[in-house]
Amino acid sequence: MKLTRIRVEQFRQFRQPLEITGLDPGLNLFTGANEAGKSTLVAAIRAAFFERHRSGSVDDLRPWGDAGASPGVELDFTIDGVAHRLAKRFLNRKRCTLQAGPSTLDGAEAEDHLAALLGFQHAGKGASKAEHWGIPGLLWIQQGGAQELREPVGHATDHLRAALNTSLGEVVSTGGDEVLARVETLRGELLTAATGKPRGAYQQALEQQAALERELDALDAEIAAYRDQVDRLATLRRDHAADQAEQPWIAFRQQERAAAERLEDIRQLESTLRADRQRAEQLAGQIRLLRDQLDAFASEQQAVASRGAALELARRTSQTQDALVAQWQARAGEASQRYDAARAALRLARQETTRRDLARQLDELRRKQAATTDRLDRAGAERTTLIALERLLAETAIDPADLDTLRTRHDALRELRIRRDAVATRLRFTLSAGGRIEIGGESVTGDGDRLLTEATRVTLPGLGQLDITPGGGDLAELRRKEQALADEHAALLQRLGLASLEAAEARQQSHARHQAEARTATATLQALAPGGIDALRAEQAGHAARARDIEQALAALPAAPDATADPPTVSQAEAAEETARQSLEQTNQRLNQARLAAGNAQATLESATRERAAAQAVLDAPDRAARLAAANQALVDARAEQDTLSARIEAQNQRIAEANPDILRQDVERFRKSAEQLERQHAERRDQLMRLEVELQTTGARGLEERRAELARDLEQTRRRSDELRRRAQALDYLLGLLRDQRATLTRELQAPLQRHLNRYLRLLFPHASLEIDENLSPGPLTRPGGNGAETGLFEELSFGAREQMGVISRLAYADLLKEAGRPTLIILDDALVHSDETRLAQMKRLLFDAARRHQILLFTCHPANWRDLGVPARSLESLRATTATAG
Amino acid sequence: MPRLLHTADWQIGACFGQFEPDEAVLLAEARFTAIERLAALATEHRVDLVVVAGDVFDAQGVADKTIHRLFHALRGHPGPWVLIPGNHDAGLAESVWTRAVRLQAIPDNVHVCLKPEPLLLEALGVAILPAPLTQRHTHADLTEWFADAATPAGMVRVGLAHGCVQGILADDIDSANPIAAGRAGQARLDYLALGDWHGTRRIDDRAWYSGTPETDRFKANDSGQALLVELAGPGAPAVVTPLATGRYRWRSLTPTLQVASDIDQTLADLARLGPADVVKLVPTGQTDLAGYHRLRAAIGQTRGRVRGLQADLSALRLEPTDDDLDALRADGYLGEVITGLRDRQRAGADDAEAVLARDALALLAGILDERRARTAT
Repeated sequence: MKLTRIRVEQFRQFRQPLEITGLDPGLNLFTGANEAGKSTLVAAIRAAFFERHRSGSVDDLRPWGDAGASPGVELDFTIDGVAHRLAKRFLNRKRCTLQAGPSTLDGAEAEDHLAALLGFQHAGKGASKAEHWGIPGLLWIQQGGAQELREPVGHATDHLRAALNTSLGEVVSTGGDEVLARVETLRGELLTAATGKPRGAYQQALEQQAALERELDALDAEIAAYRDQVDRLATLRRDHAADQAEQPWIAFRQQERAAAERLEDIRQLESTLRADRQRAEQLAGQIRLLRDQLDAFASEQQAVASRGAALELARRTSQTQDALVAQWQARAGEASQRYDAARAALRLARQETTRRDLARQLDELRRKQAATTDRLDRAGAERTTLIALERLLAETAIDPADLDTLRTRHDALRELRIRRDAVATRLRFTLSAGGRIEIGGESVTGDGDRLLTEATRVTLPGLGQLDITPGGGDLAELRRKEQALADEHAALLQRLGLASLEAAEARQQSHARHQAEARTATATLQALAPGGIDALRAEQAGHAARARDIEQALAALPAAPDATADPPTVSQAEAAEETARQSLEQTNQRLNQARLAAGNAQATLESATRERAAAQAVLDAPDRAARLAAANQALVDARAEQDTLSARIEAQNQRIAEANPDILRQDVERFRKSAEQLERQHAERRDQLMRLEVELQTTGARGLEERRAELARDLEQTRRRSDELRRRAQALDYLLGLLRDQRATLTRELQAPLQRHLNRYLRLLFPHASLEIDENLSPGPLTRPGGNGAETGLFEELSFGAREQMGVISRLAYADLLKEAGRPTLIILDDALVHSDETRLAQMKRLLFDAARRHQILLFTCHPANWRDLGVPARSLESLRATTATAG
Repeated sequence: MPRLLHTADWQIGACFGQFEPDEAVLLAEARFTAIERLAALATEHRVDLVVVAGDVFDAQGVADKTIHRLFHALRGHPGPWVLIPGNHDAGLAESVWTRAVRLQAIPDNVHVCLKPEPLLLEALGVAILPAPLTQRHTHADLTEWFADAATPAGMVRVGLAHGCVQGILADDIDSANPIAAGRAGQARLDYLALGDWHGTRRIDDRAWYSGTPETDRFKANDSGQALLVELAGPGAPAVVTPLATGRYRWRSLTPTLQVASDIDQTLADLARLGPADVVKLVPTGQTDLAGYHRLRAAIGQTRGRVRGLQADLSALRLEPTDDDLDALRADGYLGEVITGLRDRQRAGADDAEAVLARDALALLAGILDERRARTAT
């Protein structure tokens, strides 16, 4: 599609007609300042295509304030070499004609024809919006809209696909996506999108089916139980009727009675037997008592004999024990003596040891006393020396401050004199021999000189007098200072009692020497008596006292024994004493034991004597023989009766054993229980029957099986429904998968050529970059080499400038694609690429120049300088308006 | 010369889950109306006696209301009615019959024979020898005692039994509830009224199965009838006339579709069906989409006319033709998908994927058809 002429009138700011002719089939550059009408021109082109001429929503096309205007656009263009002319007027004089080659189309027909040709739609109602613009919406970039790509592509996708179908042959389905969406919707009604789990009606049917199955199972169980009960009822009734006829418990009752009678007989016999046994037991008791009695008599006799033997034994024991006591007493005496001797030896040994210790201490003390005396003497001498020194020290002491003062004044005096001498008048005289003059009262002879520091009268005998007053103003002053200083010096010397400074110095040296001597003396004294002389004296007194004490102790000691033999040492004596003491203790212990045993033996003897006497007394009782005889007779009688009774019991036992009463008792029990069992069973069955009948009647009235049949019917219907839904869901699922796969395959085929075109531009702008294209033919992530290998970023993440550039090149690629598919293309850029840097803009210009060889491009800019190197002349809108105005 | 009406297998309380709920309800209801028609028919033919050879109820545990309704349905004929229990409603210790007694639902003119003992209807000169089932299943021949049963001379002997006549209907000798073949002759019966077989069936001159009065399954032949039996007297031959009683005709259609005219034929068959028909349609073979849509449309229409319709198209293969695809405007990848589905359907024969492919194809065709219809408007 190539535009050749544009005419606009009564259109917004173009109140006057504007006509542009001779448009280039390639690049066309329009320049103009802001408000010059660039965007209005673009709006006019858009309105010519997008807006229905009958639309009532295009008031904004009118020049401002001109209610009577009929905005009009006229476009000449060629498509596939066929010349077209579109003339459109809006609002007041609505009109639309399209001249396409020889044929002319009018009104909506013309508009629809163009929409199909260019690939867009008209708004159903109101003003045309972005979603209607289709392919032109994508290729005609509005001011500031180049970077927006996804939305325009979205609106153009269907048209792009439709356009591309042609180029790919009839591969793409005309309504494929619609069908796919429908299949997806239908599937979504039955299965969840994510996991494919049943939902909606399908899920309900499955749940209902499960619920019915549960209900049916429960009912089946109930019916089975009911049937079992019916069968039980039949069995119970049969058994009950048989029992009623036979009454089997009566026979058992009779058997029970017979057994009970026999048991009663045996019980009587048992009662007799019990009486006999009781008597036999009494007899046995009596015999036992009699025997005990006789045994007592015998044991009395025995007792006398045994007590006698015991007495004899006790006596012998007592004697033995007494002998032992005597023996131990003798040994104890010996041990006591040995102990006393050992104690005496120990005492002596200790005394001699003490004596030796004291003598040694005394010697030691005496030696110490002598040393202390010596030290005391030397210390006394030393102290005398020290006292003398201290006196000397006090005499020679001179205050160092005074000494310093003396020295300072002395020096100052000397300096003053030197200065005085320097200033003084020197009077040199050389007198003739014998000549005598008096200078200031001093009589001098010979030669010499004098320094005159004050007015001095020189008396020249015979001659008169010379009064010499020395010159220099300060001589008097110096003299006065000297005088004052000499006075102070003299006063200090006087106070110190010294003649001169030299004397002071000598005294100070003498004092220092005495000090050294005093320190030596003090150190010597300290060495001799560290605690002082008094302490030394006290020590000496202490020694003397101690020596006196020891001498007294020695004197108090008893005289030493004969020194014939060496006395044993203390430890030896102690050991001997300990041995003797232990021996004595042990012996005493044994003696005590022997005495205790002897006492015990004596007590035993006495008790044995008493017991024997008592036993003998019993034996000697007067009625003892008669009682013994009576007991013997009674025993014989009792034994005879016992024999008789025993035979009777034996016979009775035998009879009872033969009758076997335990078994008889069990028989009675068994027959009774059997009868009871049968009677109870019969009664229970009657009750059971009654209960069962009632129960069955109740259950039967509930119509379980009819209910079951209905449930089964419902279940079958539900199953059928869920089965149908399952098949439908599976089929939809399957179908959806197939459609998606097929569509994906197709999409890939569609993407390939677009990718090719896009890469061609991309390489110029971003070398080595690649851009993915998604399913909707929109640019996806951009991958390009970066610092750390390839970097991938979404289109939306690029900078504004880069997005703008990408937006433009993507559109160029779409245009190429459409061109290949034989579709009309026209590219409009309204103030695009204003955010591109110089380098990128240069590349973009190369791209645009290249694209203009295939497509017509209208480029509007307010920066003419930026586009000077585009290789085409720029048309200024201002001049165009002027030209048209003139022409008009 | 007694005239009696022989019927059996009423199966009161049966449900029909294989049909849609509304249809099932009507079919269940039809069992009651069939009994009412029987009563009317008995009156119309002035019969002396109606014998019912078992399976009056479909189950023991029917609702009290159902019991009352059944006996109420008999009021159109004064009777007497002689009923025996069958295997579905056996005379157990506690059964639908004992309940009916307790409910006082059984009118005086109805005799329910729960014990194998002769029932003498002296006024009619008829002795009924019943063989009621007192267990759900028995392997003993309950008609055994008929031969030894003495009946007053001059009375017509009519046997009443429910079960399977040996050697004639079933090859299985061990089948439950057996009845010896030739029992009517052997037991000197003038007529043996049999139940259990749902189609009318003559066993010999004197023994017949009446069949159910209202058909309840597709495979029962000659059902929906009762038998009018005329007995001239003891020893005289029985004159048996089948009377139509059923309201609904149960038909099973299993056409094999190969060419377009087969569809036309099936459509014509369906077109003939009316409100008295209960139909099962299981077509096999293959059809193109156009045929498939015609068939689906015809099934929809038929469903509106007939009492019940079960249609199972799962065995029918879809073979879309190029014309179909053109008509559906299934171009581009849709066309590819359809071709793929068709191939898979062909390759798989009967396996699950082939069935899936067939279902998917039918769905897709439906969606495309819908879309075409929408674009057309």
